[in-house]
Amino acid sequence: MTRQDFLRGALALTAVPLLRPIPAFAAAPSPDSVEVSEIAPGVFVHQGRYEMQSPENQGDMANAGFVVGSDAVAVIDTIGSFKVGKRLRNAVRAVTDKPIRYVINTHMHPDHVFGNAAFKEDAPAFVANHKLARGLASRAERYLATNKRMLGDAAFAGIEVILPTVPVDNTMSLDLGGRTLLLETQRTAHTDNDLIVTDSATGTLFLGDLLFSVHVPTLDGSIVGWLAVIDDLKKRKAPRVVPGHGPHAMELPAAFDPEQRYLADIAADVRKLIKEGKTLEEATKTAGFEDRDAWKLFDDYHVRNVTAAFAELEWE
Amino acid sequence: MRVTIEEESMHGKVDRAGSRVLMAAFALLLLVAASPVRAEEDVWPALKQMTFGDRDIKAEDGKVTLDAPLTAEDAAVVPITVHVPPEVTGPLKSLTLIIDKNPSPVVAKFTFGPAAGTGGGDRSLSTRVRIDSFSHVRAILETGDGSLHMATKFVQAAGGCGAMNAKDPDTENADLGKMLVKTFPPALSTTPLFEAQVMIKHPNANGMQLDIDTGGYIPARFIKEMTVKRGNDLVFRMESTFSISTNPNFRFTFGRGGDNELDVSMVDTDGTVFTAKSQASGS
Repeated sequence: MTRQDFLRGALALTAVPLLRPIPAFAAAPSPDSVEVSEIAPGVFVHQGRYEMQSPENQGDMANAGFVVGSDAVAVIDTIGSFKVGKRLRNAVRAVTDKPIRYVINTHMHPDHVFGNAAFKEDAPAFVANHKLARGLASRAERYLATNKRMLGDAAFAGIEVILPTVPVDNTMSLDLGGRTLLLETQRTAHTDNDLIVTDSATGTLFLGDLLFSVHVPTLDGSIVGWLAVIDDLKKRKAPRVVPGHGPHAMELPAAFDPEQRYLADIAADVRKLIKEGKTLEEATKTAGFEDRDAWKLFDDYHVRNVTAAFAELEWE
Repeated sequence: MRVTIEEESMHGKVDRAGSRVLMAAFALLLLVAASPVRAEEDVWPALKQMTFGDRDIKAEDGKVTLDAPLTAEDAAVVPITVHVPPEVTGPLKSLTLIIDKNPSPVVAKFTFGPAAGTGGGDRSLSTRVRIDSFSHVRAILETGDGSLHMATKFVQAAGGCGAMNAKDPDTENADLGKMLVKTFPPALSTTPLFEAQVMIKHPNANGMQLDIDTGGYIPARFIKEMTVKRGNDLVFRMESTFSISTNPNFRFTFGRGGDNELDVSMVDTDGTVFTAKSQASGS
């Protein structure tokens, strides 16, 4: 698939229409749609809760966004269930009736992809890192079972695994009319299928779960790779970035500081323990605990992070 | 460190008795699992009969203890450690690890040799296993007198067998067969036990992981046998199944000898042989 496929139609535009001036927009919470904020003209973000999935939150525990062009809308992540995905779709519809042509997933995790089915009626292109399909398909059975258990039957209803129809290898541009989204795959970091999205009109950079704030980072890729990606992304000039978990919008480079410190502390502690001949179990009881008070959900994910870091770094 | 990998097929003469036990236990569990009514039944009595026959097993008598997490953070990588406390002395014959509810419940059987050590400290063996559903995990030790002793822990973990736990499969596949063998001298020079760690990059694929490219399952390919020697003396020989996690990892004590260098050889189900020699930790 080439980017030309995505530029079709857009070339016919003779003038780039000005964005309709939209007052700073924050839709009131309603049972029908999730709350979204317009963080830049035509760029909307929903902030997920700092929680594990539950019947109460219906899987609403990750950020998602959408970008409105003069021709079409792109949704970036779909949150963690069909039900909240539907409410995200309603939030899009409250802002614009332009077609939802693209649904982009920043990586394979259920809290970012399990709302995909809510957009099936729009027949969009489902766009993601070319490695997402392999990662998600091989974990799908387990993801479905875990989420069914944690969400309960009611909130789980309607969830489907929808694999990308348009894989991105390296970079791809999507034209929404008057603005372009640049998609860039990253080396293995949070997962092996991370993807970042830059909006050309506002410079807004969607980082997916390469950036966590408040919610403890979760490591499902490579700690060495993630630290390298952070070094690279901190040098970007984007006026605002959107984390996968955290506030609607943050500023570089400071946005990355806590996450970088957390991962660097784990890496340093684990390397020291390995050097001392300590075991994985010992590492899970001591490494990285100095950062415990800085994060929400630390106890839910930290031991898993240390386990993953240890299994990676013991090969150095 | 010297790491060599060689394609080979000269291991045809291995003792097949242990393999038959593993296969029989596997077949039995398929029968048990095939009946939904019986799925929640206690499978241990039948499993015990199949693996150890009518032999008496003393449970929790202190000859062997087992560390396993009550809840596993990652069901595909559950660390477990078996200890034989310092009070227990003399040679050991074998150690069998069992996860009742796994598709292949017998994880591994270790048969000890003269270099395994005869005591003088805590003897231990750790590995990382897959756990498919909430299950009892058992360590059954056969001491020098031929008696059997069992330690049991219940672990809440699920989905470890279907999980593809290679986080970066492209890198992992490129590294397949890479081995590391480390030895750790004891803190006290008088302690008669050394410690060692053996690691290999290997998918240990159990045939239960989906392959997106083919729509089928990734064929089973796992380490079925490992031999660890100190010089000419056997530390242990292991027969194993796919309940061992991806990138098999073992840590164990062994008896102090002359130079305390280890030679490790593994064979997987494709018949590929992997060998490596130890390097002292920190060197």
